[in-house]
Amino acid sequence: MADAEPIVFVIDDDPSVRRAIRRLIGSVGLQVELFGSAREFLHSRRPDAPSCLVLDIRLPGISGLDFQCELAAANIHIPIIFITAHGDIPMTVRAMKAGAVEFLTKPFHDQDLLDAIHVALERDRAKRKQEAEIATLLQRWESLTPREREVLPLVVSGLLNKQIAAEIGTSETTVKVHRGQLMRKMGADSLAALVRLAERIGIPNTKP
Amino acid sequence: MISASAALTGSYDYNEVARSVLIAIVASYAALDLTGRVTAARGRVRLAWLSGGAIAMGIGIWAMHFKGMMAFHLPVPVEYHWPTVLASLLVAVLASAFALYVASRHKMGWREAFAGSVIMGAGIAGLHYIAMAAMRLPANTRYSPLLVTASILLAILFSLIGLLMAFGLREETRWSVPRRLGSATVMGVAISVMHYTGMAAASFIFASSPNLSHAVNISSLANNGISIVTLVVIVAAITTSSVERRASAEVERRADEALQEAQAKLTRVTRVQAMGELAAAIAHEVNQPLTAIVTNGNFCLRELAAGGRNLEELREAIAEIVNDGARASAVISRIRSLLVKGAPERAELDINEVIQEVTGLIRSELARNRISLRTDLTADLRVRGDRVQLQQVLINLIMNSIDAMRTLAGRPRKLLIKSAKQSDGVLVQVQDSGPGMEPEVADRIFEPFFTTKAEGIGMGLSISRSIIESHGGRLWAVALPNGALFEFTVPTQD
Repeated sequence: MADAEPIVFVIDDDPSVRRAIRRLIGSVGLQVELFGSAREFLHSRRPDAPSCLVLDIRLPGISGLDFQCELAAANIHIPIIFITAHGDIPMTVRAMKAGAVEFLTKPFHDQDLLDAIHVALERDRAKRKQEAEIATLLQRWESLTPREREVLPLVVSGLLNKQIAAEIGTSETTVKVHRGQLMRKMGADSLAALVRLAERIGIPNTKP
Repeated sequence: MISASAALTGSYDYNEVARSVLIAIVASYAALDLTGRVTAARGRVRLAWLSGGAIAMGIGIWAMHFKGMMAFHLPVPVEYHWPTVLASLLVAVLASAFALYVASRHKMGWREAFAGSVIMGAGIAGLHYIAMAAMRLPANTRYSPLLVTASILLAILFSLIGLLMAFGLREETRWSVPRRLGSATVMGVAISVMHYTGMAAASFIFASSPNLSHAVNISSLANNGISIVTLVVIVAAITTSSVERRASAEVERRADEALQEAQAKLTRVTRVQAMGELAAAIAHEVNQPLTAIVTNGNFCLRELAAGGRNLEELREAIAEIVNDGARASAVISRIRSLLVKGAPERAELDINEVIQEVTGLIRSELARNRISLRTDLTADLRVRGDRVQLQQVLINLIMNSIDAMRTLAGRPRKLLIKSAKQSDGVLVQVQDSGPGMEPEVADRIFEPFFTTKAEGIGMGLSISRSIIESHGGRLWAVALPNGALFEFTVPTQD
């Protein structure tokens, strides 16, 4: 998963600029895919790999800034590096506020673009890692029995076995068994680790 | 003494005759001059000019007749019945007022001209015979029907000529004063001919003493007084008219200058505005090739630093650098030719070059709005014109088309630019597939400050039209069922 080959997407309406960017990025050993328009990009099949988007502001049919919003609305969270021939401050502010990694003015320094790409890929990698971990945790949570799912929030809110037993109306020994099972299934080796994991998948403390 | 029933033989004092003709000419000049003033004025001012002019002219015509009668010497004492004399003056003023009114109207057809000349001729003849009737002398007046008829017909004919001259001469031109003088001489002589024909129609048969109640003897002093007062009145009218004309011409000239200056300013402003709109497009146009060049150059440096083994890829990158360099340079030379300042120059140029330069600049703007451009250019279309101004017109027309198609949905956005040869020059057409326009809008779009755009100021087409007209061509719009068509012509010669 995290080992998949990273890929850089480039959307620019100028074929000559597109080809030059591909050469530059290709020279540092990254995979590149080129698109002439936002539509082409949306209709493409994107591999499941860390990726980022180098996006021209001025595009046929839609501005790059509007496309950024469209992607967010479609729940496509890909780090974006803007490149533009005539950027102004309001444009830059808008792009950065919407989460852009970098805003470069054409013609840009090669190193600036490559640095930005590395930052963006790193950010995507981290995000993908986090997502993957959460997915694993959720999977583990799915594997718990209904009783264990009932006990988990009570454990992470710091109750003693005795208190939990009173809460759910069973014996302290049974609670102990449930507790051991769910710690194992969730992959937590201590109460502190279990609290952190539960927090990441949004399981709240039921008791203060 | 002369025996009874014998006709009295009169004689003319030729000095007096000459003076009467002079008065007729001066009065005619005043009439021609005042017509222009009455025409130019509106409302109360017009009424004032009309009545003042009618009084001056009426006094002039009347004085001419009276002078003519005084020039006729009979071997008997002649006195004048003054109420009748005043009545003849009133008729003269009314006839003049009517003539001024007819000649100063917006249009004068043949019917108006004929009706006007009949009334005016009748007025002059009436004046003449009423004045004759004012004579009190120991004789009976007999009229020869033939000559009376002739004099009336002459009065009508000369009135017609006078009206037509006044109507034709009322506009101010460079030659209006000498032309008016010539026409006034013709009219003055004509009035005199009518008068003396009328005089010849009368013969005086000796009779008993006349009824001399309300009659006055006109001394030579009074006679000369009439001439002098008349001339003073007429000259005063002409002077006032000329002063007023100069003042109004000055006002007009200033307004004209101010208008021209404002238009020149607006031309600059819209040019600057158009440049501003284009600046973004141009920055893009120049920066794209530069970006490709810099990026390809950096790639080459990196490759070479790493040993430069991938020669094929290096060669491709360098070839693209060369291509993009040429592309950037072409954009810059297009911009430079757009920015050339200075007075409009007329040079021989190919209209197709102008079209291609403009479409080159506007290309990315078209692409951005997903408009497909088709050009249909006839080869070798040379015109004389100002390259920058013609580019400005084309940019304006194309920008309008882009604006019109920007929100178009449901059918393709197409722009067609055509050039063709015409008998006397070149025809250029810019056609879009936008929503088009209503016929009443098509009539108004060339008016300054008329706009259909929310953020427009309505000067583009008005300036474009004045540019094309300054080239001796025409610019017009055609509303199509699906879109709009703008056409202009530019003549081959200046």
